[in-house]
Amino acid sequence: MTVDIQMRLVEGVAVLYPGPYLNQLRGESIERCCQELLSSGVRRMVINFAETELINSIGISILLGVIEAVNEARGMLVLSNLGQSNRELFEMLGLLAHVRIASSEEAALLTLNGERQGAAI
Amino acid sequence: MSLTLRKMLHNFNALAELGNEINSTHDFDEVVRASLHMLLGTLAIPRGAIARYSRAPRQLKIVAAKGLQKAIGQKISVAPEDVAPLVRHAEPLQLQAEQNGLSAFVGRNLEVFKRLRAHTSVPMVARGELVGMILLSEKFTREAYSEDDIALINTIARHIAIAFYNHRLMVSLRRKAEENQRLYREMHATYRDTVKAFGAAIDLKDAYTSGHSERVGRYSEAIAREMGVSGRELDHITVAGYLHDIGKITVDRSIINNPRPLTDREFKELNKHAATGYEILSHIRHPWDEIAFMAKCHHEKVDGTGYPQGLSGEAIPLGARVVTLADSFDAMMTDRPYRARLPLERALADLYRNTGTQFCASVVVAFCRLLLKEITGATRERVFLTAIGIKFDRPAVVATLSEMILELEP
Repeated sequence: MTVDIQMRLVEGVAVLYPGPYLNQLRGESIERCCQELLSSGVRRMVINFAETELINSIGISILLGVIEAVNEARGMLVLSNLGQSNRELFEMLGLLAHVRIASSEEAALLTLNGERQGAAI
Repeated sequence: MSLTLRKMLHNFNALAELGNEINSTHDFDEVVRASLHMLLGTLAIPRGAIARYSRAPRQLKIVAAKGLQKAIGQKISVAPEDVAPLVRHAEPLQLQAEQNGLSAFVGRNLEVFKRLRAHTSVPMVARGELVGMILLSEKFTREAYSEDDIALINTIARHIAIAFYNHRLMVSLRRKAEENQRLYREMHATYRDTVKAFGAAIDLKDAYTSGHSERVGRYSEAIAREMGVSGRELDHITVAGYLHDIGKITVDRSIINNPRPLTDREFKELNKHAATGYEILSHIRHPWDEIAFMAKCHHEKVDGTGYPQGLSGEAIPLGARVVTLADSFDAMMTDRPYRARLPLERALADLYRNTGTQFCASVVVAFCRLLLKEITGATRERVFLTAIGIKFDRPAVVATLSEMILELEP
């Protein structure tokens, strides 16, 4: 069984929306979506957690795989719109220091576009 | 909320999720994979694997992995002397460090552990038995595992170990049940073959009735099944069909094969075979008493004029009423010392004429339905057609059978 993950491309950056609950089902869909994006050459991604109320342990496990896959492909991933409980979860797991976080999707896109421009210079 | 309390709640939540998964009805491989994901996600570990232990061959085989390519199916060798220390030290072991009695195990498998990027291994033990191993990479943050982490890993490993143990028990029970079913099927086949052999032995006594008992057995089974009989009852009726004439083994061969009309004395002697069959079969313990009674009643008539007891209607067991029809139909369709076989049309007319006196109407209807299905090709079964051949007026027989069903069906 799979679920469709909402995704849009903004100037070459893929923005993914995990939905209300990041569990095994949605996590695997995000993982598959990211793999397809990486295979098709999209290296910059944002995961927008604005609608995500809960991330369970399987969701975290799959998310770690996504972060590693993007890093291994020399891509960039920004997590945006983390609510308080999800932010605390990331903090508790010590992940905040190891992933890029942005307060909003716009800020995440700015971060990624800024880094691309920086790389171009 | 303090960080300590948050971590405690996080760990409780992970254990609750794990409990739900382990107790779910999901496929076991999926349960193992989800359990691994839960462990890794709870402690932010990017890579890990779960291996299942087998005694023959003695090895650990990876059955679930995350973040590792081509890990599934990889094997970790276990020497006999490794098992006891693995069971004793069922807690996280850093694979780089010198281990208590396990340096040989680690050294022998170092290449596999490197390939699996395993930093820590956790032997899984349930009821004192090694059931598997969890392999973990470093944490995503590269921090060392804390004491709390190790306690949680131990707890989760124990839960997964018990799930493995229970699954192994279930698999073993399922295999035993399958083996028992196979043995039962074999015994049943042997039993049926023995019954058929008895039937053939009975028929050898009569030069004219070769194959009669086997045909009556097959006809009885088919008619009873058409009437909705199944399971043990169907089995009993079939066996009664095969053995209905077993009493004939005590009747003098000269009487059975006599081409002339029998004298009264000879008739009396021949007619004893139903009761004699009961005597023979009733000495075999339950459930054969039902079979014995069916065989005894195969010359009873529904109007009460048959023998040996003159039973009527439903006092005659259904199985016996079925065997009576099968027996009579086969007798009509085969050559006898005193007459040639009857044409099918004539046999059907005899059946119809004697329905309600000799034969039970519902049995006749079931027989007619079955024969009609065979003749019209509505079934691929060839129970009756094989014996009666193709020399009959097909449209007339189809019409007769249809009329008989219409007329006799309650």
